[in-house]
Order: sequence, then C-alpha cells, then structure tokens
Amino acid sequence: MMNSEIMQIFAAFIGSFGFAILYNIRGKKLAFAALGGFLSWSLFLILEFMIESEPIRYFIVSATTTLYSEIMARVLKTPTTTFITTALIPLIPGGSLYYTMANAFEGNLESFLINGIITLKLAMALALGVVVVTALVKLIYAWNNKKNNKRLDKNL
Amino acid sequence: MKEHFDTIMDIGEQMLLCGAEIHRVEDSIERMGLALGATDIDVFIITSSMVVTIHTPEGSFTQTRRIKNSGTDIDMLHKLNQLSRDICGKKLTFDDIKLRFAEITKAKKYPLWAEVISYVFIAGAFALFFGGKINDALVSAILGIVLRFVVLFIDKFDINKIFGKLICAFIATVLSFTAMKIGFIQSIDKVMIGNIMLLVPGVGLTNALRDLFVGDSVSGLLRLIEAVLAALAIAAGYFLFIFLSGGASL
Repeated sequence: MMNSEIMQIFAAFIGSFGFAILYNIRGKKLAFAALGGFLSWSLFLILEFMIESEPIRYFIVSATTTLYSEIMARVLKTPTTTFITTALIPLIPGGSLYYTMANAFEGNLESFLINGIITLKLAMALALGVVVVTALVKLIYAWNNKKNNKRLDKNL
Repeated sequence: MKEHFDTIMDIGEQMLLCGAEIHRVEDSIERMGLALGATDIDVFIITSSMVVTIHTPEGSFTQTRRIKNSGTDIDMLHKLNQLSRDICGKKLTFDDIKLRFAEITKAKKYPLWAEVISYVFIAGAFALFFGGKINDALVSAILGIVLRFVVLFIDKFDINKIFGKLICAFIATVLSFTAMKIGFIQSIDKVMIGNIMLLVPGVGLTNALRDLFVGDSVSGLLRLIEAVLAALAIAAGYFLFIFLSGGASL
C-alpha cells in the first residue's frame, strides 16, 4: 500500500514538472512549480488518515496549494499563475472524468451517475479552494492598501 | 505619452497571449499609462479584445486590439510583468522600453524535443498515478509522443483548438484500443486517463475561476465555456471512435 502511495507522489511530481515545461516555466520557478504538485499530493495522502470525505480533502488541499502559490509568487516576484496552474494538476479529477464518459457510453446509468457526481463534487471542491484563498488574499491586500493610504493622508 | 501608447498596447496584448489573468493585464496597462503621463485611462479587456482610451493634455486617444490564439507562456508573462513594473518604477526611456519588449518577444520556448519528453512524462506519470501498471504507463507514454506530433500538425494547419482536442482524443482512443487488441494492455482506461490529462483544460478552468471571482465576469464566463467545450470535445472524440467501430465493447 505504502509503495503505491510513494509512486503516486513521484508521479504527481513528474506530471507537474512536465506541465511546467509545457507552460514554459524556467529556472528556480520551474523547481518550485513542480514542487507544488509534489506537496499538494503529499498533503492529500496525509489527510487521508484524518478526513474521510474526499471532496473536503480536495478543498483543503486546493486552498493550501493556492496559498502556497500566492506566497511563492510574492517571494519570487512573478504572477501567481506560474505556480497555481502546475501545482493543482494532480488534483484534476481526470480519472473520474474518464469513467463518467466511458459509463455514459456503455449505458451503465448507475456508474455514470455515481462517477459524474464524484467528478462534479471534486471539481467544485477544487474550485472553491482556489476561489476562497484568492478572494481572501485580494481582501487582505485591499485592506493593507487602505491602511497605507490613511497613513499617507495623515503625513500630508 | 502618445508615442508610448502603441507599446503599452503591445505589452498588454502579449500578456493576454501568454495566458495572463484579465485583472493583471488591466492593472498593468492602467499603471503603465499613468506612469507614462496619461492624466486618466479607461481600460476594458476581455479574453478576445482590448479597448483602451488614454486621456492626456493633448486630447484623448483610443485603441482596440483583437486577441486571437492565446496560449500559456509563463516565462514570457513573467518578463512582461517585470517590464511593466520597471516602466512604472524606473522611468525607462522610450527606446529602452522598445528594446526590452523586442527582446522579450524574441525569447524562445523550450525546444520541441523537450516538449515531446514532457508529453511522455505527463502521459506516463498519470497512467501510474491513477493506478495503472508499468505496461499501461509505457503505452500511455508512447501515445504521448504521438499526441505531441498531432498537436504540431493541428497548430501548423491552424485547426480550431476545440476541434483539435476532438482529433487528439479520437486518435488517443484509436491507439489505446489497438494496443489493447494487440495485447499490450488489459484495459484501455489507465492509458486513456494518462492521455486525457494532457488534453484536459486545467489552466483554462483555474483561470476562468480566478477571473470570475475577482470581478471579470465576462472573461471568466468566456474561459469557463471554452473549458467546458474542450472537455466535451474530448468526450466527443472518444465517442466518435466508439460509433465508427460500431460500438466495439470495451
């Protein structure tokens, strides 16, 4: 069991690295983008011991990964897109998407519905994680700017 | 200011072509415009079009740009972002800006062989990731190579992107089915998933969401629809093979 998990993490890293190349990410950013995929899937597997619900785990991992991307973007002075697009790759529910499709064709209504709902839930959880953190970061920045502007006004 | 207008538009256009968030491009254009001497600036951008009016003491000027074929080029985006920061902070001269912009757009992407290798990595890795065995990963990786060349062909003949996804999915299905018939793999699902990961519009979806929730609803919706269409096209490519083969059992 442990073996397959190590392989998954490794595969997540390689997969993210591959996408980072396709998106023309270079240098230090390439390393941190691929590392993001590695970390996101590791976190997902660790959370498996604590949280049973897969969508909730997806949400937590996606939120954490978005936070990682926002932080790395500030550290390396580059757009957040650099990290978020690659680090979230392992979370794309490609598997359940395929099974939804295959079952739809084969006419297994029940499996189609089950897989379809899983895909939808995971995609929603993933989206929610990204959205919540993005919105929070924007909010904090707006708040900070306001504070700074007030200070400027006072000094004038 | 007037002489800078073209350059600012070029920078913004190039950022969009690299797959930047709308919010970032609007913000950059606004900042650059104001830094270069506009008294006020109105910017409206969606994924496929830019409309910018600058107000200067000499009068107001408007330019529009039509944006086609945007992709993802993070390195160029990073450099354009840096250039726009420098324009605002360092008071670059007109020639400096021109020169740096020309340099940035000339920068190359990774060579084709590197992209082929990443297709191999991605397709192989995700076949394993979703529980495939080593033979699934190998077949998937080889299909990855084929897909890269299919994409090359699609780009060369300027085939519509959504239709391109359909072609890719169709070819991937045909080949994985063939591999199963020959007996390299027991079932096609892991191989298909490995290759679907190459086609799934992951960036499109994340960008769509980020645009939607920072207030760029129009662009967000456009990108969302593009992502959904791409996903449907993948499914259509898969179905196409099944229909043509007369419903071959999987």
